[in-house]
Amino acid sequence: MIETQTLHKDYLRPLLRKLGKQYRLVGPVRNRFGDTLYIEITDLDRVDIDLKHQPQNSLKSFFFPQTEPLASYIVDTEPLSPTQLYSFHPLLPENRPTLYFGVRSCDLFAVLYMDMIFLGGKHRDIYYEQRRRGAVFITLGCNEPFANCFCNATRNGPFLEFGFDLQLTDLGPARNSYFVEAGKANGVKIVRKWARFFTVSTKEDRRFQYQAALEARGLFKQLVHVDLACQELEKGCEPEDVLTDFSQRCQDCGGCAFICPTCTCFSITDQARDQGSGERIRSWDGCTFAGFTRMAGGHNPIDMRRHRIRKRFFHKLKHDVQKHGRPSCVGCGRCVDMCFGGVDIIRFINAITEAGDLGRGKKRGV
Amino acid sequence: MAGLATTFGSGAMTNTINELEEAQVILVSGSNTTVTHPQVARRIFDAVDRGAKLIVIDPRKTKIARHAHIHLQIRPGTDIPLLNAIMRCILDENLIDDLFIEMRTENYLAMCDLLLRVDLNQAAEITGVAADDIAQAARMYARAQRSTICYCLGVTQHTCGTANVKSYANLAMLTGHVEQEFTGVDPLRGQYNVQGACDMGALPGGFPGYQAVADPENRKKFEEAWGCTLPENPGLTVIEMTHGGPDEKRLQAMFIMGENPMLSDPVLDRVRTSLQGLDFLVVSDIFLTETAELADVVLPAACFAEKTGTVTNSERRVQLSHKAVDPPGEARADGWIIQEISTRMGYPMQYESPREIMEEICLLTPIYGGIYHDRLHASWGLQWPCLDRNHPGTPFLHKYNFTRGFGRFEPEQHVPPVEPADNEFPFVLITGRRYHQYHTGTMTRRSVTLTRERDTSLLDMHPEDAKELGLADGCRIRVRSRRGSVPFTLHLSTQMDRGELFSDFHFHESPTNILTLADSDPEAKCPEYKCCAVAVEVDHD
Amino acid sequence: MPDIPSICCYCGCGCGLYLHVEHGRVTGVSPSRSHPVSRNNLCVKGWHVHEYIHHSDRLTRPLIRQHDRLRPASWDDALDLIAEKLTAVKEQYGSDRIGVLSSAKCSNEENYLLQKFTRISLGTNNIDHCARL
Repeated sequence: MIETQTLHKDYLRPLLRKLGKQYRLVGPVRNRFGDTLYIEITDLDRVDIDLKHQPQNSLKSFFFPQTEPLASYIVDTEPLSPTQLYSFHPLLPENRPTLYFGVRSCDLFAVLYMDMIFLGGKHRDIYYEQRRRGAVFITLGCNEPFANCFCNATRNGPFLEFGFDLQLTDLGPARNSYFVEAGKANGVKIVRKWARFFTVSTKEDRRFQYQAALEARGLFKQLVHVDLACQELEKGCEPEDVLTDFSQRCQDCGGCAFICPTCTCFSITDQARDQGSGERIRSWDGCTFAGFTRMAGGHNPIDMRRHRIRKRFFHKLKHDVQKHGRPSCVGCGRCVDMCFGGVDIIRFINAITEAGDLGRGKKRGV
Repeated sequence: MAGLATTFGSGAMTNTINELEEAQVILVSGSNTTVTHPQVARRIFDAVDRGAKLIVIDPRKTKIARHAHIHLQIRPGTDIPLLNAIMRCILDENLIDDLFIEMRTENYLAMCDLLLRVDLNQAAEITGVAADDIAQAARMYARAQRSTICYCLGVTQHTCGTANVKSYANLAMLTGHVEQEFTGVDPLRGQYNVQGACDMGALPGGFPGYQAVADPENRKKFEEAWGCTLPENPGLTVIEMTHGGPDEKRLQAMFIMGENPMLSDPVLDRVRTSLQGLDFLVVSDIFLTETAELADVVLPAACFAEKTGTVTNSERRVQLSHKAVDPPGEARADGWIIQEISTRMGYPMQYESPREIMEEICLLTPIYGGIYHDRLHASWGLQWPCLDRNHPGTPFLHKYNFTRGFGRFEPEQHVPPVEPADNEFPFVLITGRRYHQYHTGTMTRRSVTLTRERDTSLLDMHPEDAKELGLADGCRIRVRSRRGSVPFTLHLSTQMDRGELFSDFHFHESPTNILTLADSDPEAKCPEYKCCAVAVEVDHD
Repeated sequence: MPDIPSICCYCGCGCGLYLHVEHGRVTGVSPSRSHPVSRNNLCVKGWHVHEYIHHSDRLTRPLIRQHDRLRPASWDDALDLIAEKLTAVKEQYGSDRIGVLSSAKCSNEENYLLQKFTRISLGTNNIDHCARL
């Protein structure tokens, strides 16, 4: 590979300007309301790039939008056969090589998970692939985890060991620069091509980087026994009380699934434009919705009063462990921040590992 | 609104939604909060998680009621006797706030007079709530420093709606739980911009900012500003318009912008007759609604994402919503449509942008005096009253004194429901919203996910009642009232007490409002949606 | 893919949200964390607020009733007809025989204009909306 480098903070914007000629840029931007979101950056000079706060959205919608047309169809006036009454024309999204920068470990790890779901099986999802192809990631390790983070417990943060093209680590105000590790060919290419912005790291830099990584691990505010929970569930634990309590609190908004960077359930509907044509649309869905499992006759195999969210947590912490060897929760804490019913994964894990603050417990603030 | 306007001087939420979190006791009445105001419910849950006490007054065991410390499951339409009993308990145990009553209120003696005549046992009998529970709720509410009341249409949509509201205001004044942060009386507004429509003078009796039309000074002010002469006689309310006159028709023509009275108004047969009887009906909407189908001219309007403009939420927060996409086809924003018609009728209106219209509103409406678009551009809104450009807005109302000067106690007596259940119509029907649908379903029923979650009109009935009638869950039934009959799918639910039914009004296949009563509150003209007598039978069609 | 700040069009909570726009279509929403009411949260209706915007049932042209059926017409024809008919009713029967319903789904500016139009051009106070319903 290549030696580790440092990048002076002053050079970040000039580097991005160069890269912006080659790639579409996506990064965390603080808007005028004070919200930080990953957005497409069209004018580098007019945005406030925010590397201090956790972006409130993940990268999910860039690869897998909330609604996306898959195909248009027309009703054939002279069908070729009595069974084929429609002609479909796929509507592929354009492929735009994109550079995602300032990406947090959890969010990149979630993309790697989505790769497994959409590209890892026998059938590749061409829509996802089209958006995903040519994506480059410059991640930023978290020196200071945010209020609801627990990526140390899900073992994908606060710093990554693989998956990134470049990983930046803030070396603190004294050094005013980022420590840069190149993880993949595209990262190496960037460092080589724009070598003038980078300096080969010194031993002192590496010592600082190690110290930052070490300190970050000690700064998590949440103690969450993810491994223990996975083991309990593997042993066949069925936490009826917790699930019943959660079902009564759940407001059925679907927000946890929508904000989750690894929730990939979707449904497909055909929506008519007029009598002769229409579009096939894919949109986000959530396993917490009653309609997700309700059958045509009205029967629902899931008892919603008791098990509305069982499937979601079991999928994340049991079925994915069985299938892929690790839970699909990346510990970003977004669902914890979002849910006002207190139906979040931390509470669930705590409940089955230490029977902790079940029911009317204390609220975790941001 | 009329109720709060008489007692406090202003008919809007006294606090912000966020302040609920800090309350010690929250009294929720006639609001299925988790369904109709999810964000308010969120604050209530947060407060309860922190140790606040929750009292719910509702005939149904709603989700929020299940989380309540005390649930007063009253019979529909018995708010006033319940509140009078609560206040009597507070008086008896000397939990009143003497100083507040003396400094800030008037007409206390009349109130006292009424309360001393309240018979607690009789109140328990009327409301169906045990006297002990009433006393416990009274203590809980009165003893806390910061108690707040939230109510919704379950309180106002009765013939005695205004009196109900006044009673809640009485309770708050008796204990001094108003005029401060974290405590007050908060009516929850049910729609996107219903507060704004009121503020902007889309009311028969008021110019923008609740400046009464009846006041010649106000008329003079607007006549000078607008360069015209203005009508004096008070206008008609919705129901008076859509129900026509007692014998002859009241109106020859109507212009309806984005409303669907053919599903939302009571006694739909009368609405249909009066709309069909018009010489000319114009409807501007985004979809061909049941009302638009009757129109002579239908205009395609832009939806919220296709235009820029301000809207005002339940807590008086004026916010700017930006245009995201173009309207489909030739559809145009309602603002453009009105200007075109007005210009064609000889009063030219040529505003270049909503910003310019807002500047005129600021000029003429004291409570909106400083709410310019540029101030809203980088913030999530300002709460009126906001008197000038430098005014920061007002999170809670009635600081130092009530808008009307002194808060006025308005003693009220029980008004029995207009149509109690009897042998022929043995059930009481309550109407309201479901979580996944909204109002007349014009928008939500076109949303694939929401429609998948719920696309049938259900009638909730207690399982014991269903057993007696020999009805099974999910069967097709027909609900009959003195005004007509409507088909529903039966849903067994223990949310209701026996003898009570609940249905929604989102679905044109089950136009619930065929059943409801035309009687409305004499002051606020709110129809009695929450209480009418019906019978249930199997649907053989 | 710009994110346009907007307000949820359903209940009176007034949640702040961002509309995601791609190729002239709203493809999704996300809540605002800094918004004092929504605080990073939406209900099920808010999360699906974009779904009806591009529905094929949307009205796209003015319609005028002819021979008991609504038929497409031009804006000019529709607006001229409205102005003519309303003026005729006003002159023949008087202003108070015209009624106007405004909307809780329209903006403040539009409500202001409509009440102004009603009071000046139509000359009546017969204006109300669904606050009571």
